[in-house]
Amino acid sequence: MRFLALLRKELRESLPWMLLAAIIFLAIGGFVLRAQAYLGQPSWYYSGLSPGTVVDTYRLTHFSPLRMTGSWLLVTSIGLGLALGVRHFWMPLFTRTWPFLIHRSANRPTILWAKLAAAIISFIIPVGVVWVALYRYSCRPEIFETLPTKRVFIEGWLFILLGLVAYLGTALAGLSSARWYTTKILGLAFATIVICMTIFQWRLGWAFAVLVVGVVVLLSQIIDAFLNREF
Amino acid sequence: MNLKDNSTYIAGPTRIFTTVLVLLIATAMLQGIIISTAMLWEARPIAPIKKPKKELSEAEKHLEKIRNSGRQFLPDGTIHLVYTLPDIPTLKRAIDERQKEIYDANGSLLWSGLEKNRPYEYLSWGVMIHGYTESFTDTRMKQIQMITPEFSRSLEIPVRSREKTEQVWRYDPGRQLFVGYRSDGSKIGYIGSTGFTDSKSRAKPFGRFKLFTAWCPQDSFSPTLLWQTSRRIYEINFEKQQVQLIFESAKSNIKQINLHKWRAIRPETPQDSKIPYRPLIKCLTEDGKHHLIMRNPDRKLTVTVDGDWWSETISFTATTQGIYLFYRDTERRLPSAFRKSPKLALEWSRKVRGKPYKKWVELYKVDNKANLHLLNRCDWTVPAEPYPVVEAGPLWTKVRHYACQFSSPLYDLAWYLLGRQFLFQLYRGNDFIRGFAEVTRELRPGNSILNWLLALAMVGFAFWHGWPRKTSLGKLIFWFVFTLVFNLAGLLTYLALNHTPIIKCPLCGKRRGLAQVNCIRCGAELPAPERGKLDLILNT
Repeated sequence: MRFLALLRKELRESLPWMLLAAIIFLAIGGFVLRAQAYLGQPSWYYSGLSPGTVVDTYRLTHFSPLRMTGSWLLVTSIGLGLALGVRHFWMPLFTRTWPFLIHRSANRPTILWAKLAAAIISFIIPVGVVWVALYRYSCRPEIFETLPTKRVFIEGWLFILLGLVAYLGTALAGLSSARWYTTKILGLAFATIVICMTIFQWRLGWAFAVLVVGVVVLLSQIIDAFLNREF
Repeated sequence: MNLKDNSTYIAGPTRIFTTVLVLLIATAMLQGIIISTAMLWEARPIAPIKKPKKELSEAEKHLEKIRNSGRQFLPDGTIHLVYTLPDIPTLKRAIDERQKEIYDANGSLLWSGLEKNRPYEYLSWGVMIHGYTESFTDTRMKQIQMITPEFSRSLEIPVRSREKTEQVWRYDPGRQLFVGYRSDGSKIGYIGSTGFTDSKSRAKPFGRFKLFTAWCPQDSFSPTLLWQTSRRIYEINFEKQQVQLIFESAKSNIKQINLHKWRAIRPETPQDSKIPYRPLIKCLTEDGKHHLIMRNPDRKLTVTVDGDWWSETISFTATTQGIYLFYRDTERRLPSAFRKSPKLALEWSRKVRGKPYKKWVELYKVDNKANLHLLNRCDWTVPAEPYPVVEAGPLWTKVRHYACQFSSPLYDLAWYLLGRQFLFQLYRGNDFIRGFAEVTRELRPGNSILNWLLALAMVGFAFWHGWPRKTSLGKLIFWFVFTLVFNLAGLLTYLALNHTPIIKCPLCGKRRGLAQVNCIRCGAELPAPERGKLDLILNT
């Protein structure tokens, strides 16, 4: 019961950011996707395919129609992660309300799980649902000449999880009791490294492995800092 | 043991890992900035060596033309020296509009005129598939699969009529085969190593991809692919949904393939169409054998050459009259014994620099039993020419040397353990791995004594800092070893995670940390707080 109450409280505080992320991603991501549908395949793409000639192999590689949407998905996820990390772990620091939260009748692990659960739900609902909808829309052969692969769908979810990594990095930076000019921002720096290493992998398995290692490293430090530090 | 206690055991090592990773990257970036700044500071345009303008005599001009001529062979083995006259740079004439002079092996002029009017038909040779547009390598396959913010790309082969795409065959890198789709998005089937099938379970993979090239046959708007894997070469026609296994190497991997007239494309020059060539693929495998696959009629032949030959420069051609091998070599080729040692290679190149050397070309005929018969040979001497030697400036070299002394000795260990060949292979893979390989190569300390002395100095500093704050001898020794192994990044990590306040011991007056109750020098306990009038806790 306490967990649910805390979860509702965190979701209520995260709601403006969830709505903002959903609106931005749906509006801009949808707009660029619709523009891609309207433009279609450039007519020059296959113009080099004439009998008795060597084919330019570059013309045989194709981006999916969700190409531009992907950039917005990544930016929205990371932005949402930063915003939620600040809301959940930095705002109580700035407003000096940690003692009010920590000294409730709920124990610290419950408070922490509520925050993390709220963050996960905040990614799935506004960003995840919109991503699924845009992907389904891009799979219509009557609208798009080139259809996306299933791998692109998984990559989109990877981008959403990278937003979670940004959230965890921000949370760790907020919980660190070090000075800002020493090691306080190491959490954010590490999250940045994980994001960069993930998006430049060419094997999905390795990308997920890097992501999982990054999440485990950040989460373990967050749990330790939250449960053991003095607020 | 609850979550609070368990988390400390996991969080400790992860905290060290996070800190040292960030600091290693930060240190590498700082070193890179320092070295690049020194390089830019020292950058100066290198003045070209001005050769004194010496007027050449007619005989000398003629000799220079002979030296700079291309060596071409007629089908009967006769060698001609083909000299291309220098063109006016602004004109940029097409190849067949260039002015040529043809000499025989003795240097006598046989003909002069435009390339397109050339009366002789020389043998043309198989070439490697190269170029960004013509060849698609495994490196590019990995690049298109990179996730990136714009998602990964896919390889799609269209089947087209004149204006319309009717089918698309998409390559599935995981299953190593093609999946076909109609224009309405419905699936056609699968093309794998055994050909077309409509069943996913019956489709067999092609194998580990290495390279492909594509062309449209003369009667089609749809590409046909020549698909090379580690051990096989296939020809895939998507319009007819056919796969033909051209070659399979049983014992070793394919290293290189050359094509000659294999792709049924329009002839490149009028002369090319007069010699009756046979389509040919040459496969060089890692065991040094040259496998020839010919058509019209279909035939396979394996040619083994002398182990000392420069295999990569061997070319073949096949006509209805015979099979020929073209070989060129030079004295200025690094001996194989020196290839493993960069130091020996550098010494060898300094020894031969600026000296004349010999080059030669040879034409062989290959008989039915793959024996070679020398038809003709031509050799010539390239005169010594001084050329500017670009050496790194002294400031940049010194700055680089000293900046690298702050790197971790693990870079040297990675370099020696993994080896140059491993890192060279990784160059062709993931961008991050390539980046790591380059950082290792550029910033490694080179097993220098200064690097170890610096590391020991840092350990000394860590000892001076850590002794008053000591809580456990094991932890202290761990941090000393850590600092020794990671050098500057290790010391900074130690300081980031262990810089706690210290006070003066009230008994012995020396520095002591607050994490231990007793002073490590005199054993005195931490001073108790003074009692005050309003001190409720101590008064009760």
